[in-house]
Amino acid sequence: MRRSKPLALLVGASMLTLAACGGGDGGDNNGGAANDDREYAAADEIVKNPDRAEGPAYEIEDATEGGDITVYLPGDPGPSTLEPAEGWSVTGNSIQQALTNRSLTQYARNPETGGMELIPDLATDLGTPNEDFTEWTFTLREGVKWENGKDITPEELAFGISRTLDAEAFPSGPGTEYSRHYFLDGTTYEGPYTSGQPYKGVEVNGRDVTIKMAEPFPDMDWWGAFMAIGPAPLGEAAAPPKYGRDPLATGPYKIESFTPTDELVLVKNEQWDPATDPGRHQYPDSYTFKFNADPAQTDQILLSGNTASETVISTDLDSVNYQKAASELGDRMVQQSSQCTSFQYPVYDKTTKGVRQAMALAIDYEASWLAGGQVPGVTRVPANSIMPPGMAGKPDYNPLGEPTEFNPEKAKELLAEEGYDESNPFKIVMIYYEPDPLAVKTNDQLVRGFEEAGFDVQAIPVQVDPYDIWLDPNNATNKKLTLRGVNWCSDWPSGLTMLPSLLRTGAVYNTGGYSNPAIDKKMDEISLLPAEEQADAWGALDEEIQTTDFPIIPTAYRNDLFTHGTRIGNFFGDGAIGAPNYKDLYVISK
Amino acid sequence: MSLPPVSTETLGHLSDEPVDGGPAGGGKGKGSIVGKSPIQIALSRLLHDKVAVLCLIVVVLFALIAVFADALMKLFGVTTDTVRPIGLIDQLGGGLPLIGPPNNGFDPEHPFGIAPGTASDNLAYWLAGAQTSMMIAALATLVASVVGVTLGLLAGYAGGMVDRIISFFIDFFLTVPFLLAALTIAPIISERFGAEPNYPTIQRWTLITVLAMFGWMSIARLIRGEVLSLRERDFIQAARVLGMPTRRILVRELLPNLVAPIVVSVSLMLPTFVAAEAGLSFLGLGVTDGKSWGQIISNATDYFQTYPLYLYEPLLGIVLLVVALNLLGDAIRDALDPKTRR
Repeated sequence: MRRSKPLALLVGASMLTLAACGGGDGGDNNGGAANDDREYAAADEIVKNPDRAEGPAYEIEDATEGGDITVYLPGDPGPSTLEPAEGWSVTGNSIQQALTNRSLTQYARNPETGGMELIPDLATDLGTPNEDFTEWTFTLREGVKWENGKDITPEELAFGISRTLDAEAFPSGPGTEYSRHYFLDGTTYEGPYTSGQPYKGVEVNGRDVTIKMAEPFPDMDWWGAFMAIGPAPLGEAAAPPKYGRDPLATGPYKIESFTPTDELVLVKNEQWDPATDPGRHQYPDSYTFKFNADPAQTDQILLSGNTASETVISTDLDSVNYQKAASELGDRMVQQSSQCTSFQYPVYDKTTKGVRQAMALAIDYEASWLAGGQVPGVTRVPANSIMPPGMAGKPDYNPLGEPTEFNPEKAKELLAEEGYDESNPFKIVMIYYEPDPLAVKTNDQLVRGFEEAGFDVQAIPVQVDPYDIWLDPNNATNKKLTLRGVNWCSDWPSGLTMLPSLLRTGAVYNTGGYSNPAIDKKMDEISLLPAEEQADAWGALDEEIQTTDFPIIPTAYRNDLFTHGTRIGNFFGDGAIGAPNYKDLYVISK
Repeated sequence: MSLPPVSTETLGHLSDEPVDGGPAGGGKGKGSIVGKSPIQIALSRLLHDKVAVLCLIVVVLFALIAVFADALMKLFGVTTDTVRPIGLIDQLGGGLPLIGPPNNGFDPEHPFGIAPGTASDNLAYWLAGAQTSMMIAALATLVASVVGVTLGLLAGYAGGMVDRIISFFIDFFLTVPFLLAALTIAPIISERFGAEPNYPTIQRWTLITVLAMFGWMSIARLIRGEVLSLRERDFIQAARVLGMPTRRILVRELLPNLVAPIVVSVSLMLPTFVAAEAGLSFLGLGVTDGKSWGQIISNATDYFQTYPLYLYEPLLGIVLLVVALNLLGDAIRDALDPKTRR
């Protein structure tokens, strides 16, 4: 899943890692004491819990009904459409999946362990695969209704699933990556809207919905947690793009109003029956999401502690106010791992392994975080592997033998071994996002580090989202680059959503153009392994790629800082998606 | 982006001033009456205006700072080079410096302190900002006034078709919203020249061009109006009858009579451009390498509460310079205006 925040995107172009050890290895997630020694937890691993299948969700102690919650999303434009099949962003999915749109499965916080777990949602269980994971059967729960009071039928569920295959109607939806790759006829069936034909890969039998795969897909239960894998009204009622403005809600809240890049208001959906939902709650009367909020203003509201701030949540904290927030808000500042890794991606056919390793040593990780307005060790943590913490099978290794940290001298030695010296330096050509002063400062630090290590650096300012350059093969600037970047969040805690998306030959976000047929083959083979062996296999492949070819430089694991007002109850981060856990919130009554 | 007019104060000051150098002014030899040109009279009035002199000193000081910025940086031992912020910046303390202000005492190595986050030297960037500001304002003023005066003269004197065409362009440029144009041009320039090694220089010249492009109209209009009334006067008619070439009439006859309005509009254009440069940089247009007061202010707004000095330094530069230039401009206008008083 790509980050939706433009800031985060450009940060992907430039944000990097430090390598002091640290980060915190345990401790309480929302760390108690309000001082500089607060320890931050590494992300908890997300597990499956098929036993939590019956609604209603567990009662939250002291929780009261009523109240209105306002969520500020500084510097985050939010989703441009609410179309479930199009949703592939941290912001949009975290809100809609938690509050408005139900799907086959869902993530929910386990109150005892504090970690997130995958539990059934519209389906009665986590699905039943056949022997080789080429058929998955889910049973639709009884008594689930649309916001208009009509029952959700298995046919509507099957139709909703088939919609994700329509790449023309939903060009940037997650279905283009998963449904089309794994579902039966995924590459040939053009979707219900484009082709007009019904899809044969999903069969309805009573309340059972069976999805057929083109190749083994053991992660279908995880993929089922995407709102895209949920029901949709039959026929033209859910035709794009109109449906995306006000999709029918199935969750505890429905859409009152939506203005893209500005505001989303959700109010209670009376048709939602708690008895059918094992994961969601419906305490507050309404949620208001303010996109593109002014960062400084938002922090001021939270720090002021006035009446208006009491029921407010902010999804980002300006690092300038970190110390103040830590001392004044205390527990009300929550750090959450976002299951994302930032990378620098050297262009594979223009660099050698030695040059790439030299680049990794020439990046002044900590300095660039600082200059870019991050809090080293808090919002950015040094990265060693491609897979971020919290992911099953995340390996612990150091691709360069020791923790990667800024070491221009060693980088120089490596470059000398590759035949580059002062008279014949390796030329790094990269881009940075000029309209953002923080990106410019980060770039300055990068350039300084590279130059200290003896690289010749050309940093080209660009005015557009760096991805527009990196992903455009015909762009003249892009052709010149020898260093690109990417910033990737897992779609579910499996290496399947990290490694192939970034390192398979020809993958869209393989910005460095890494290509190794042997590795491609191994990626395909892992899908065929028994499910319980896959996690470790992805971890091993992560390590193998980085030790043999070192194609990509992981620069940082990313964390978010959330803050909330005094009357927000039961606030926790959602480690599965890297957002506040909206499912369990309530407003503390006065 | 311009400051409100501050002329009343200057005016009042001027009118209280004792007469000097006028026809009755004694002092040089007994009873001798020395003839003085209007410019001389204006100059002497200006030199007796304390506010004007003070402002002149400030402006000259800033001009010297701008010219000798590099030497001054060497003198203070500071540079605008990127430094490694590790050890200089409090990582958990909101990015505030560990040395110098706001939380520690004066640091002689960094007289103005260091920037939060990046740890770059504030004095070096302040001096570079002064240089950028003065250079861009001066050159933009020069270009705008040369273009404006030339076109104004031509339009006013030639009349007819030429006048109509030039007037059309004046009106046309007046209708184009300046900010919108700047917002459009900045990305185009970056797109086109971003990969060039001398990109910062190109950026500065672009800014000069943009400022001049949208600054010449008022002076052109003013000059055109003046010329329209002057060209019907007897001395111009006489010159024409004598068969003087047009160029000579324009340069020798008309231009000297326009010195007053030109000087006044130039002296008021300068502060406008200083403020405009800072304003554009604040918005992220124009100079983006940080060597601009506007950019420093834009960075510093986040630290307004925790590190106010960081904000006040560039602010002081801009306010002082713009106020001084404005007051000076007003004083020059008053001095040149025969109606103010004699």
